Amino acid sequence: MTKLSRRQFLATTSAAGASALLASPALAQSKELVVGTWGGTFGDLLKANVDEALLVPQGYDVLQEISGPVPRRTKLITERMQRRGSMDAALLADFDMHAAARVGALETLDAGNVPNYDTILPFLKKKTSVPLIYSAHVIVYRKDLVKTPPTSVQALWDPAYKGKIGLSDFLYTSNMAYAAVANGGTVDNYANAEKGVEGWKALEAKLLPSTEAVGQALASGDIWLTIISAARGYSWQKSGIDLAWCVPEEGAFPAVYEAGVPKNARHPEAGLAYMNALLTPDAQVAFAEKMGYLPTVKSAKISPELEARIGFSEAEQNRLWTPDLDFIMENQAGLLDTWNRILKG
Amino acid sequence: MAKLVLPAGLLVLALLGVPMLLMLRYSFNSFDPLYLMKEAFTFGNYARAVVDPYYQKILLTTVAVALASTLLTTLLAYGPAYWLARMEGRWKSKLTILTMFPLLVGGVVRSAGYMALLSSDGLINATLRGLGLITVPLQLLYTPGAVVFATVGIVLPYMILTLASVIESIPRQVEDAAANLGARPGTAFIRVLMPLSLPGVLAGSTLVFILCMNAYATPLLLGGPQFQMMAPAVYDQFARASNWPFGAALAFLLLVVTVALTTLGSSVIARRYKAG
Repeated sequence: MTKLSRRQFLATTSAAGASALLASPALAQSKELVVGTWGGTFGDLLKANVDEALLVPQGYDVLQEISGPVPRRTKLITERMQRRGSMDAALLADFDMHAAARVGALETLDAGNVPNYDTILPFLKKKTSVPLIYSAHVIVYRKDLVKTPPTSVQALWDPAYKGKIGLSDFLYTSNMAYAAVANGGTVDNYANAEKGVEGWKALEAKLLPSTEAVGQALASGDIWLTIISAARGYSWQKSGIDLAWCVPEEGAFPAVYEAGVPKNARHPEAGLAYMNALLTPDAQVAFAEKMGYLPTVKSAKISPELEARIGFSEAEQNRLWTPDLDFIMENQAGLLDTWNRILKG
Repeated sequence: MAKLVLPAGLLVLALLGVPMLLMLRYSFNSFDPLYLMKEAFTFGNYARAVVDPYYQKILLTTVAVALASTLLTTLLAYGPAYWLARMEGRWKSKLTILTMFPLLVGGVVRSAGYMALLSSDGLINATLRGLGLITVPLQLLYTPGAVVFATVGIVLPYMILTLASVIESIPRQVEDAAANLGARPGTAFIRVLMPLSLPGVLAGSTLVFILCMNAYATPLLLGGPQFQMMAPAVYDQFARASNWPFGAALAFLLLVVTVALTTLGSSVIARRYKAG
């Protein structure tokens, strides 16, 4: 048997390692792309339909940096003074993205740097972000338990549903918009929202810690109606819960999720490629089919059956509120404080 | 000797001391919704944290849960700790490892386990329903009782191991002498073993109390959104309200109260030990 000296062994293994590295096309040619995003089903869908389907074939090595939306927004805001940020693309809800845009943390986007930019539906077009998906926070209810289908936001304060109204703790911004509108306020000033939240407390509304908990409470009949995105209603409907949803006659809170490229991204061209990939019809259709969110580009066509289940009629679309994002940004901490004090105090 | 402490000291200073000083500085800044905070030197955040009845209630709940959990843990740990300490042979090391076993699993995972136990379709409710004892599930999850129950379950190994090591160092002959002089087992425990094991109670309860005061995952997952304790409230300010200065002030308030109560408790137990 041939004996291998320590020196020979090290030389052999180093050479083997080096040649393996050189031989790997992924490592030799890949372009790194760090995407700040949510995890779970959303992250998996991004990975399957955007990262692996569109960007890996172009030679990108996509790394998802998973966190909650506020830490991500905070990163965009606090890192903006640094020469290099930690993300090449960041995904956020429109009001969080708006805060990052207001401090000048985001790159300007247009058809010049994002070829699919011109396909964006006009009402969703913005200068520093692209819309990834959209839906609306509507009234989702158990069809078998709520005998009279709700048509107005007032249904959420109907004493008949005492103890059966569910509220997602995460959606306090949308919930308080409903509370304001139900009490004579608007989404531009959130006036009288406090009164509405107090009304929920009096009706023993159930505060639920996560979207999943809302789904479970609807499934078990612990709650009969709630405010949540129509997309979620669709997903839960698909899983077998007897649900329906309505855009109240007073309107509903839009749920728009956007993506942007930080000005100090390490790989800005990769971030821009990601923006373009998010807007491709295939990715958009996959989000509609899997999660029930509507496409944000004219070029994405979903089946009429799916459109009927997740889409909004023209009248419903026109009723969606256009919240004052500056107001929300400036008052979000105060809104959360009011929400917590009334429902948790 | 001082040189030996230097590397560890520097590491703690760099990884704990410096970030804490930075946080302390943040706590005097003022909140800005656009830029997160503005350079300032205000005591406003501390004043709000101390004066506001909403945060007073959260602090009181935290102290009450921590005290209840520490007391219950001490009571529950004494028996197993004594048994473990006085055990001999190969089972002793196996049972010690078994006691430590839950510590190998993270707090979040253990809390998730308690959720599976206490939820409306969890193990307890399913068993009671199966036995025909209930028809409507009991509300066990999202209650203060659930938080105390799970917290005790999580911190129990710390107390058992700390108490066991102290009881082990108490000579067995002391108990024999008490018995020889006519003391019943209960009397021997209260008048001999317990006073002698007070240093263990002190160390264990200090450790457990600090863990309970700073509990995050358990109150959040088992108490639900309406049950408020300090650590989740601190997180709320940082991660939801983006109010770093107020979040930092709340964190330091929690630190000061924990240190003050721990010092007070230690001095009371130490006095009793000396008196005994």
